[in-house]
Amino acid sequence: MPEALEREDVQGLVVRGYGRLPFARYVVGEIVDGAAARSWLGSLAGEVAHGGEQDADAAVQVAFTAAGLRALGLPAEWLAGFSEQFLEGMLTAHRRRVLGDREDNAPEHWDWGGPQSAPIHVLLLVYAAGETTLAALLRRHEERLRAGGIRLLRAMETAPLDEREHFGFRDGISQPRLAGIGTASAADTVKTGEIVLGYRNAYRRFTPRPRVPATADPSGVLAADVERPDLRDLGRNGTYLVFRQLEQDVEAFWRYSADRARRADGTVDEAARARFEAKVVGRWHSGAPLALAPDADRPELGTANDFGYHHADAHGLRCPLGAHVRRANPRDSLDPAPGTRRSIAVNNRHRLLRRGRKYGPPASRDIDPGTPAAQAWSDESRGLHFICLVANIARQFEFLQHTWISNPHFNGLYDEPDPLLAAGSHPFSIPAEPVRERYAALPQFVSGRGGAYFFLPGIRALRFLATLPR
Amino acid sequence: MRATRRPGQARERGAHQLAFTVRRTVSRDRLPQLRQLLAEMAAPRGGTAPRIPFDQLTGVHFARLLLLDEVVDREGRTIDASLVYMSEVDAPLERHLAELCTLAAPALDAAFGLCTDYPEAPDAPRRRRFLCDNRVRAQAVYVNALGRTREQILREDRLHRAIEEFLDRERNRLPAEAPRVRAAIQRFVESDAALAWARRRAPAPSLRHRVAEAVHLVSWTVALLLLAPLALALLVPFVLVLRLHERRDEPELLRPDPDHARALGEIEDFGAQNQFSAVGFIKPGPFRRGLIAVVLFLIDFAARHVYVRGSLAGVKTIHFARWVVLDDRRRAIFTSNYDGSLENYMDDFIDKVAFGLNASFSNGVGYPRTRFLFFSGARREDEFKDHLRRRQIPTQVWYSAYQHLTLHNIENNALIRSGLFGTLSEPEVAAWLRRL
Repeated sequence: MPEALEREDVQGLVVRGYGRLPFARYVVGEIVDGAAARSWLGSLAGEVAHGGEQDADAAVQVAFTAAGLRALGLPAEWLAGFSEQFLEGMLTAHRRRVLGDREDNAPEHWDWGGPQSAPIHVLLLVYAAGETTLAALLRRHEERLRAGGIRLLRAMETAPLDEREHFGFRDGISQPRLAGIGTASAADTVKTGEIVLGYRNAYRRFTPRPRVPATADPSGVLAADVERPDLRDLGRNGTYLVFRQLEQDVEAFWRYSADRARRADGTVDEAARARFEAKVVGRWHSGAPLALAPDADRPELGTANDFGYHHADAHGLRCPLGAHVRRANPRDSLDPAPGTRRSIAVNNRHRLLRRGRKYGPPASRDIDPGTPAAQAWSDESRGLHFICLVANIARQFEFLQHTWISNPHFNGLYDEPDPLLAAGSHPFSIPAEPVRERYAALPQFVSGRGGAYFFLPGIRALRFLATLPR
Repeated sequence: MRATRRPGQARERGAHQLAFTVRRTVSRDRLPQLRQLLAEMAAPRGGTAPRIPFDQLTGVHFARLLLLDEVVDREGRTIDASLVYMSEVDAPLERHLAELCTLAAPALDAAFGLCTDYPEAPDAPRRRRFLCDNRVRAQAVYVNALGRTREQILREDRLHRAIEEFLDRERNRLPAEAPRVRAAIQRFVESDAALAWARRRAPAPSLRHRVAEAVHLVSWTVALLLLAPLALALLVPFVLVLRLHERRDEPELLRPDPDHARALGEIEDFGAQNQFSAVGFIKPGPFRRGLIAVVLFLIDFAARHVYVRGSLAGVKTIHFARWVVLDDRRRAIFTSNYDGSLENYMDDFIDKVAFGLNASFSNGVGYPRTRFLFFSGARREDEFKDHLRRRQIPTQVWYSAYQHLTLHNIENNALIRSGLFGTLSEPEVAAWLRRL
């Protein structure tokens, strides 16, 4: 029997992606006055949407970086209970290597979160059912932030929610489900502790988390720790929130795919083009996975997610070994025993709960590249505010990023990082009979524009943080 | 163009792989100087420090220089700081020693010259004597693929790349049938004199070595069978004593020091592979010291005769690993060369070979609590990862002869060569072409 998630104490984002609230904005700020910020947080804590709420027409969530918690007044010895990666941030030379933030993706080029920009302390995520509600809510919150000693650094808009990401593919199909939230199919279910602190993880362990002495919490705001009842658990019902702003060069991707499918007379074979794009992504535009629909798009399979790779497609003749979705979630295809539950179990120790949204205006595929209209849309930036929730940044997000996404040697390859996400120019091969097709130099399609590791505390932890002394 | 390529006719020699270790004490006052020297030797460029020309040392797959800091053991005895040189190298050892003493002489003199008792006026014979006098034997050695030489790995890498380039070049002129594509590749390889070696099979280690290994396998198997009744009789008392120790032993349960972790991270994740070096105290008392000797013997035996090609009980990412017991069995050092990140490596340990790690590492002080030697331990993920990071030490100088290749690549390259010529059925041809 899985441990039930304490829905009333997690922030709502753990339970839902707020699909019913299609309008959202993300605000980041720097705490300049700790005392004012604590009183701001004290009044906000009661309004932060928790996981038990439903049918509200707006929701607010709040997260902090390590520097933000320090600025709030969290003493160093308690802060030390957070994970090494969270405390270190994304900017050290080693973390950059792990995350693949090099060349054009280096944090020096970021719009926020990089070494040159102001320190990021607070992230406020505001969701609403309608545009006007959002605008009003945002105005109110921005005022309160300012009054709370927080300097606003950036308000990031998101595009109204729909199913497609900017390159034209259905997104968000494959998500792990938490055992502690009831209904779930086995292959996609992960232990609650894989995402939320204070619960058992895939190794039936409690992931290390920040804890404070009982004396630090005289009014008993925090819950007692599950392993050490003499301590109070500051991490419980919290989760790490990884934020990466990824700008998508849609024009470059579509132009590249068109050039690969150009006939002798200069016209584009749209079927061949769609096939090439599908080989890069691993799903067709509709979302239908190549593993199930190898030859042509089958929109009826658009949300299909119950499949493996090993038995039908061990060699990547359907879905290339290097295709984006096959790397982001290899399912049953890797060691120790491809095609078995053992491999799925190992795979599932590296899952992320994705909660991001796209931003920027849609690109239009009908516009002829090179025309003024095309120029207009290519001037506007668009992309994905990638957000994911994990209990263990190193084993989940960073492992995925380093060992699967940006690893040129993934699954036996030699020199091929993720064809969609890799920095710089990179080769990509498509297994085929009798011998592979190989593209020597795909250009870079996606660029990092910002990012930080945040902690999304539980509701009780928010109240506790608001009462820190000093 | 062709003529400038390395000639392929040179005979390829088979050889087994050796784990060579040298260790010598460093006096306290020379430690800062040595540390500085090693830092310069490791720096990508610049500096005046002599470097070991590893590429020129025949058959070196991996090598490292390690500084073991001064420590005080559990009984309050000081163990002096020492410098360790390790290489994973193709046999014969004599050649490696000779090349170290000549080609690497400036670096050897500079680094070991800061250790105690290095020859005053070093020449090749004196250096050789120093190395032999300070050689330390490893208790257990793991080699991913026994008998695969560095020369073979590098040649097969060139072969793979040449074929890939040929396919790219001929992309639009290739025939549509698999056997004819393979025939075209065969013709291409045949046309290149520098790849002539690829038409022969990779050579095996010397007959003498293979006979010696067979004798080792048979004699120890017989001996172990003869000892089996005794072992069975001792099983129950052994388990009782073991459980007593396991209950009494204190796991350390400390997070790694952030500065220590950062220093380790700074030298990780540059290429396809990483290095790992860890050192720790063996739990005191005859039981643990006896147990680790038995366990390491069994690991070594399994590595020599069972896990001989591609996989250490399911882990396929370890090129080489070794366990060396030091300081009158008070300490042990474990080093390895592996593919991917440390996180990936540790996850592999936990998911695939927890039993083997528990059996060996649980004899070390502070290891997470085990049950019946093989269970729990590494499966206590957070405690285990913290423990490894705390025991890990920086590898000051590290060399890999093929930083751009994973074991998966190396094995695939070997199979491309072995399937290039000779008769294959049609499905086999299709499978072979999928390796490209």
